[in-house]
Amino acid sequence: MRDLYHRLDIPRHATPDTIARAAARCANQTLQADAKSVLGIDAHREVYDELHGLLSDLGQLRAGLGMTHAPHWCGDVANDFSPPPERIVSRQAQLTAKLEIALARHQSRQRRRGWFALVTLAALSTAYAAGRFWS
Amino acid sequence: MAPAHFSSFELLLLKSRYQPDTAALLLLAWVFVNKRVVLDEDRHYLEALAHGYRHTQDLDTLLAIAAGRNLTDIQLAAEVLLHEWVDEQFLPFLCRAIGLATSDGVLSLRNHHILRFLADLSGVGPAAFARLFREITGQPLATPDDPSRHLYWQENATADAPHAAQSDTDTSTVEKKTLWQRWHAKRQSARTRRQQAREKLHQRQARERQEEARRQTREQQDKERRKAYERQEQQRQKQERQQDTPGSAPPPHYRIRLALRILELDEYASRHEIKQAYRRLAQRHHPDRFYGQSDLRIALASQRFQRIKDAYDYLMQNA
Repeated sequence: MRDLYHRLDIPRHATPDTIARAAARCANQTLQADAKSVLGIDAHREVYDELHGLLSDLGQLRAGLGMTHAPHWCGDVANDFSPPPERIVSRQAQLTAKLEIALARHQSRQRRRGWFALVTLAALSTAYAAGRFWS
Repeated sequence: MAPAHFSSFELLLLKSRYQPDTAALLLLAWVFVNKRVVLDEDRHYLEALAHGYRHTQDLDTLLAIAAGRNLTDIQLAAEVLLHEWVDEQFLPFLCRAIGLATSDGVLSLRNHHILRFLADLSGVGPAAFARLFREITGQPLATPDDPSRHLYWQENATADAPHAAQSDTDTSTVEKKTLWQRWHAKRQSARTRRQQAREKLHQRQARERQEEARRQTREQQDKERRKAYERQEQQRQKQERQQDTPGSAPPPHYRIRLALRILELDEYASRHEIKQAYRRLAQRHHPDRFYGQSDLRIALASQRFQRIKDAYDYLMQNA
């Protein structure tokens, strides 16, 4: 499975017109024939696009997990659908960080509530004592 | 306000009793939504699994997540599995995924790629994966078709035509029923086959373990024997040299010895041997062999080549 869009150097949602022009411009005869029979026919293109989406997703996933050189990811698929290398972001670490922030917020709120209850209690008791004193 | 920041899968994961189970369930649901024909049995199977993992109510959420192109959640699931499980724990999961993907008889093109991704995740190589696939389904693992080729569509056009005509004549209910029966029979046979395969796997593992142990002992014996032999050989050579040196010619000049060592030869090499060694080494270390690689490598290679050439020239003049 090859990425015909990438090989023809056209965007993913190119119009049929653009595809036809790119195919005519293409010097490789096999690629030209493939482009015409796969991307030129709407039903074929629909099936192809579906798989294309999945494979680009898998490429992204593998890049994120550091599996771009795994044994099952080889040949045309690996050549065409591996995204350019970028910084790997661990989703699990993100989740842990998010959890920590939520926990810190929760704790600070609890603490604030405790202080508020204490101050209210003190105010009430002083008011009560003052009332007893003045009456 | 905090829950708003977590995605639905993250919430499920946080609530789950054992995180890898939830993650595995999401990946299985991903395989399930990518099947070509969705059978009720598969859904029941998933429901039973979800029930076992105490996610009875959450299966629909998981299926929705898997059906949407939600990469972050699937990556999170994969990371959880990689983090929590070791290699052997992946195997039953992979078997489940293969069984689920092939329960309707054909492996969809999407699942072809997804299963390979899961195999990579499990650390199962191509050969082992093909064997596993064969044991579970009874069919060899084919390479996925390539819809980006002109040929694929030609073959499909000829293959689909009679099939379409047939499906027109059949009523949909009959087709469903036969499909159901066929599937049921297939499932029964698959179950027995899986059991047999499991037994076979156990047997093979035991045999491999035995062989491994035997091989290790043999290797150790070999190593010891080789060491003893080398020691004897070295002693013999030393004795010979001690006997030889007083009678024979004085040892060659140190520069000659150095040059000979650069050409990887011993002290008694003939002119012909020197020439041969030079040709061999020059071919191996010639900078042109490293053309297109980094500058550092080329520089190192040219240094090595120069040293070899100098040594050869010196030997040709003085020996």
